[in-house]
Amino acid sequence: MTSKYLLKKDHLKPFLRKLTKEHRLVAPLKNRHGDTIFEPVTDLDQEEIDLHNQPQNSLKSFFFPQTETICDYRTDTPDGYRFSETELQRQPTIFFGVRPCDLSALLYMDVIFLRDAKDPFYQRRREESVLIGLNCNQPFTNCFCNGTKSGPHQEFGFDLQFTDLGDRFLVEVGRARGEELLNRWPQFFTSAEAKDSQAQYQALLEARGAFPRQIHVDQAIKRLRQGEIDPKIWQFLSQRCQDCGGCAYVCPTCTCFTITDQPESTTAGHRVRSWDACTFSGFTRMAGDHNPVRREEAAIRQRFLHKLLYDVAKHGRPSCVGCGRCVGICFGGTDIVRFINLVGQEL
Amino acid sequence: MPSSSNHLYLPKAARIVEVIVENSQIKTFVLALADPEENQAFTYAPGQFLMLSVPHCGEAPISIASSPAEPGTIHLAIRRAGKLTEAMHQLEPGAMVGIRGPYGRPFPMPQLAGRQLLFVAGGIGLAPLRSVIKTCLLAPENRPAGITLLYGSRSPADLAFSRDLEAWQEQANFTCHLTVDQGGPEWNGPVGLVTGLFDRLTLEPAQSTALICGPSLMIRAVLGELSRMGLPPEQIITTLERHMKCGVGICRHCHLDSKLVCKDGPVFTLAELQKLSVMELN
Repeated sequence: MTSKYLLKKDHLKPFLRKLTKEHRLVAPLKNRHGDTIFEPVTDLDQEEIDLHNQPQNSLKSFFFPQTETICDYRTDTPDGYRFSETELQRQPTIFFGVRPCDLSALLYMDVIFLRDAKDPFYQRRREESVLIGLNCNQPFTNCFCNGTKSGPHQEFGFDLQFTDLGDRFLVEVGRARGEELLNRWPQFFTSAEAKDSQAQYQALLEARGAFPRQIHVDQAIKRLRQGEIDPKIWQFLSQRCQDCGGCAYVCPTCTCFTITDQPESTTAGHRVRSWDACTFSGFTRMAGDHNPVRREEAAIRQRFLHKLLYDVAKHGRPSCVGCGRCVGICFGGTDIVRFINLVGQEL
Repeated sequence: MPSSSNHLYLPKAARIVEVIVENSQIKTFVLALADPEENQAFTYAPGQFLMLSVPHCGEAPISIASSPAEPGTIHLAIRRAGKLTEAMHQLEPGAMVGIRGPYGRPFPMPQLAGRQLLFVAGGIGLAPLRSVIKTCLLAPENRPAGITLLYGSRSPADLAFSRDLEAWQEQANFTCHLTVDQGGPEWNGPVGLVTGLFDRLTLEPAQSTALICGPSLMIRAVLGELSRMGLPPEQIITTLERHMKCGVGICRHCHLDSKLVCKDGPVFTLAELQKLSVMELN
């Protein structure tokens, strides 16, 4: 579908208000501390939708929560130790203001959670989601989605896609669910003209030229594919990594998790899955304290090779989407941009 | 939701029908699924594993030690190694556990038919190989030309699966050599590492396939020895142990470079491992 429409900026809030009548709406909201965070909208009159800053979180936790119960157990049923399914509440959700990096990350999570083994929790939330994207006309300080080819504009994966054209949004339809929203609320939209498409293209060109720095992701991938890199790079980064896991938590494509039992009593409990990080020293440790990963040499080898080498071989593209969040959070200075630059310097 | 009654992470109830004490550290638990129909229908391939749940202890991956050629029960040989296995050792016949699976890439059984098979195991490592050996002996289509088993343990008292070892030695075309790290007054067999048994072998590299499981140090030594004896890396097969949480290729705890041991393994040929950076080889 290539249908393009216009939504006047004055009409944005009324349109979103309509959406909240039938769905949960999640959008980037500016909180009282001045932070921009993807959150469920509760009162559009009191809350400020912020489309000028990068949300600090991605959409990851809405599809793959930081912790969630995957089943319950009792040891005292008439049949002894038994597991039962956890009730998952239906919660159809429209996500508004999703930038290309976060949309690309969601498409990657689809592959992880749905391609082979189908994760029922992720699947349910994904089926209930509508994605309204927002193209980036102005990259942020740490952004390098041009290097990972996941922005600054997005061409697929969305239900609707917005591009800011000053006093109006250009609205593109990606999938049937987006079309349904337009048909449901046609009063807000007019047809776009050729000049609007030209304005969008102009915005894309300007956005491409506006990245504060060029990160040569392709070059690093090429180098990695040519062979093993200098072990000193791993040692340097591994020794500086503080084992905090911050990079994995803010990363929209880090999907490692652990599963643990949380007893409620001596006879009942929940089985819970929680986010985990391959950089944690205990991630690969087995019973008896054997650990196949030597942390001091390779604590973050898996993290970077998974994103830049293994996933390129397996899925045809890196699973880093260039959102730059890990750059902002890493206080050891061992973020992925540091790694990409170090690999590049090896010439 | 999840709508289906057996979603990806939901264990099935299984009853412990028998506990066989192998030695002070290892017990074999004979399990049957609580649902008789499911138990009847349950099947797997040698080399696959289950995710085992013990109350309040979470899950751990355990190799299946029985053979699909003997349906009706599932054998899990478990060494006390941590919290879950310690709790499992406290359970008695009649107790319930949870299982998910079977998971993982099994041993290439069809390729083993007609070959000279060399099994090399250390300690609890005989468990997954026991599944292969039993299947070879029970299913005519899997008949190898001959079987040699080299099995090592710490001491004579630590030799596990002694009932099987006795029964197998009665079989035609089955040779079994045992060794212990530390002998004792009642032991008149060889003493030393399992690689010390290799000089008793007459290996025909072109007809032989080796299957190995044990501690990582043993695996490394045996892989080196077999390569020196001229066995091609495609015919050297091992199975790896890793920390696992999901068992289905999502959580990534069992990462091995670009592979996941739960899905791409746990069974690997040496040829495959040589392309990876593997603890067992380095």
